[in-house]
Formats: sequence, structure tokens, C-alpha cells
Amino acid sequence: MKAGDLIIGILMACLGLIGLYAAAGALDLEMSIFGWSLAGFAVVFVFGLIKHHYDDVDAAHAAARHAAAGGAGHE
Amino acid sequence: MSDLALDTASARFVTAAPARHVDYNEDIVRKFLIASMFWGVVAFVVGCYIAAELAWPQLNIAPWFNFGRLRPVHTSAAIFAFGGSALFGTSIYVVQRTCRAPLWGGKALANFIFWGYQFFIVMAALSYVLGFSKSREYAEPPWHLDLFLVVIWVAYLVAYVATLLKREEPHIYVANWFYLAFIVTVAMLWIVNNLTIPVSIYGSRSYSLFAGAQDAMVQWWYGHNAVGFFLTAGFLGMMYYFIPKAADRPVYSYRLSVVHFWALIFIYIWAGPHHLEYTSLPDWTQTLGMVFSIMLWMPSWGGMINGLMTLSGAWEKLRTDPGLRFSVTAVGFYGMSTFEGPLMSIRSVNALAHYTDWVIGHVHSGTLGWVAFITFGAFYYLVPVLWKRTGLYSTRLAAWHYWISTLGIVLYITSMWVAGIMEGLMWRAYDAMGFLQYSFIQTVVAVHPLYVVRLLGGIFFLIGMLIMCFNLIMTVKSPSTARGNVPGAALAAGA
Repeated sequence: MKAGDLIIGILMACLGLIGLYAAAGALDLEMSIFGWSLAGFAVVFVFGLIKHHYDDVDAAHAAARHAAAGGAGHE
Repeated sequence: MSDLALDTASARFVTAAPARHVDYNEDIVRKFLIASMFWGVVAFVVGCYIAAELAWPQLNIAPWFNFGRLRPVHTSAAIFAFGGSALFGTSIYVVQRTCRAPLWGGKALANFIFWGYQFFIVMAALSYVLGFSKSREYAEPPWHLDLFLVVIWVAYLVAYVATLLKREEPHIYVANWFYLAFIVTVAMLWIVNNLTIPVSIYGSRSYSLFAGAQDAMVQWWYGHNAVGFFLTAGFLGMMYYFIPKAADRPVYSYRLSVVHFWALIFIYIWAGPHHLEYTSLPDWTQTLGMVFSIMLWMPSWGGMINGLMTLSGAWEKLRTDPGLRFSVTAVGFYGMSTFEGPLMSIRSVNALAHYTDWVIGHVHSGTLGWVAFITFGAFYYLVPVLWKRTGLYSTRLAAWHYWISTLGIVLYITSMWVAGIMEGLMWRAYDAMGFLQYSFIQTVVAVHPLYVVRLLGGIFFLIGMLIMCFNLIMTVKSPSTARGNVPGAALAAGA
């Protein structure tokens, strides 16, 4: 995993926790909606990061297999 | 796709073979363009609805769809969502191209900036509709959303500056100066104006750190410079990249661009008090704001002249390139509205204009004529380039968009000028006994037909926007614009 992805992932996790914290103690509807939405946004975003990571790994493996089979020379 | 370099001696863009392959992040630019178009439609639909509410008040459906709640939805959707997404997208495109460097931070940071900004917009709109506005014009979001935007904005600033720092080109092209001024100054304005003390960290309500006239001054220091640095400096950056590219001409005077940049940056920041003339603000402060507003004529027109004169030798392209037509008309509107603004700041004129619909007409000549048109010009240029198409799906539709939108703006601003001056004159009219000649409701009745004309102008502009969306979607999807399908077709300019 790239360092940038990791940093953004940790940042999003922190934001998600802040969202849960805000939702848990919310005194009004706006803070409640914001808190839950922030937590949900963080979860979806981190899932996206994980998906992109494995997409990249798969693409790298596919490229390596293609190169090993001499595919590059036939293009 | 070829790379762009700047010959600083002639201020001309030159197409140069890259020394190495640069993996530009175009995905994020495409996302911002799509978001900008979507929010543009939302902003114009809500704008038309609230214009109808003003003409027919029974359309105010309490409480969620009252004018007071929908108005910030319209302004935020237009300025921050439509304009902001366009600025994010084009600035990221321009900084990569002119620096010949990919966006710093990788895809994760870029996606964080994009999705974080969209999240902020949705949350802000929701807070207004639910009645949780902070009641500061153009800074309505509750305090926790202000903080969230600061995180996103800092990430944007870091990505932008880091891309500039690792550039392959020795020169920083002037468009980047304008974009950077927009990013840095908006951050400063946003933080200072939104300094509030929350009632509770678990609640949305907060109180401003400032009080009384100082609070008003800070608000309009922010409010005016949101116009100056969000709606002017950022879009001047757009102008300085896309007009020379579309016209295939060098910037008329690179020196003028640098001089008017520094003059604009220095003078704009002082002009805010003109929003508070004839208020409890100290008299000298009002005079200061007025004087600096008048001084703004020079740098503003420096930009306009530079934009228009860049077309020297390429005016015939206006016949065939509707995107360029939008851009150049935008510069014309920029010149007009930056003449009108200082004029309205003069005390004797302000006495007539203040609190009337003339102000609304002035704002919309800037936002529709300048901001939206320069954005449309950039979109018509960028979409074929980013989606690797041979050109637009239909230049005829783009021409329809141009004329219907122009007609919409003309209807809008002329009706508001007439309404505003009529209101100003009726409010100050006295009879022979020294009493006010008209009651307030009489002025409302008098301007009603003009409110209907304004709505008509807005609907025209919305129809134009929908035509553009259809045209650009078809540009991306239609086989007729796919590369290789049109024998001999020239690639889109710059592609």
C-alpha cells in the first residue's frame, strides 16, 4: 500500500470516529445527520481505498503475467 | 496528447514533445467537471424556483422551501458547488499541464479532495433546508461544516503547491498565480469570518467571535473578497489558460498580466466596506472602501483588455468556435460588471442602489455573464480533450446554448436594473407635505412584472445549461466523435 493511501485512510478513519462521536452526543437534528453522514462517508471512502489497492495489485499481476508470456512483443 | 509549455519570451504556448511521459491525473478533472455541470443544473433550477417565489409568494412552502432557506441553497450551489467544482477541476488540469507534473499526492489525495468537497456541499445544502444556517451571507454553513471544509481546502492547497514545487517547467505560468491567490486567500477569508464559539460541541448553533459593526465589517471583508478571490481571481486563472489555448494565440501582454495580478490582489482586499455604506460603520472606513473600489477599475480592466486583445489576429475563430465565443463574451461581461461595481460603490450612487434589485442585477451580470460563461468556454474546450474525442457533438447546439443564455442574461439584468432604479426612486420620493410618497408594498407591486421577466431570463439560462449538458454527454457517448471514426477529422484543439 502506498504511503499516501495509508495517510488518507488514517485521516478518514479519524474523521469517521469524529462523526460517530458527534452523532452520539448530538443535541440537534443537524449535528445528528452530519455525524452519521460523516461516519458513513468515511467507511465508504476507506472501502474505496481498499478496493483500489487490490485493483492495482491485480493489474500489476496481470501485467507481469502478460510480460512473462511475451505479450508485449506481440502488440 | 501533447504537452503544453510556455515560451516566456513571447508568452506563447508552444507544443513541445515531453522529455518523459507524464501520467497526468485526468480522472479527478473529469469528476470535477461532471460535478460542476450537475450542480450548475441544481443551482439554476433552485434559482428559477426562488425567482418564482418572489413573483408569486404563495409558492413559499413552509418551512423547508421558504425563500429564506432556499436562497442560500441557490447561492451556495452556484458559487461553491458549480463554480467551486469548475475551479478545482480546471486548476488541477492547468497546474499539471503548465508544470508538466502529475498532481502531487496520488489518487487517494485527489479523491479525498473531490469526495470531501462534494460531501461538504451536500451537507451544507441540507443544513440550510433544515433551518440551521449561520445567517452569514455566503458563509451560512454551521461551524462544524466550516471546520470540515478547512480540512479539504488545506489538502487542496498542499496538493496544488506541491505540484508547483516539483514542476518540470522553470516558469510558473500566470494562470497558476491567479489560482493560487484564490486558494490561499479564500482559506484566510473563510477561517477568519467563521471564527465562532459553538454553544456546545454537540450542537450546530454558534456565536460569532466578533460583535456589532466589527462583525459586519468582517462579514463583508469576507463577502466582497469571496467575489474578488473566488469569483474573480480563480476565474481569471481559467481565462489565462483557456483563451490562449482555444485561440491558439499568446497572451496579449504577459507583463500586463503580472502587473494587474499584483494590483488586483493588493486593492481588492480593502474594498469590502462599500457593502456597508450608510451604516454604523465608521465614516472613514466607508470612504476607504469606496476609494479602493474605484481604484479597482484599473486592474480589473487590465485583465479584461489582456483577455480580449489575446484574440488579436484570431477574431475569425469566434464564428466557428462557440466555446471561445463564450469565453470572450465572459470577458466582456467581466469588464462591464467590474465597471458597474465601483460605480455602485460611489456614495451618491449607493444611496440610490443599496438594498434594491439593481444589486441583484449587478451580481448576476458577474455570475452569469462572467463566471458561468468563462466556465462554459472551458468545458467546451476540455470535454473533447479529456474524453479523447475529435470535437464537440454539435457546434450548432453550442451556438443555441450561447444565444439562449445571452438572451437570458439580458432579460435578467435589464429587468433588475429597471426594478432597482424604480425601487430606489420610489423609496426616496417625498410629497409636498414631506411624507414618503409610496408605501413599501406599492414598490413591491410596481416591480412585480419585472420579477416575472427576471424569472423568464433565468429559465432561458437554465434551458441553455441543459442544452450544454446534452451536447457534452453526447460528445462523450456518440460514435460520431470517437477518434478514428471520422476520417481526416482534426483532433480537438490542444489534444
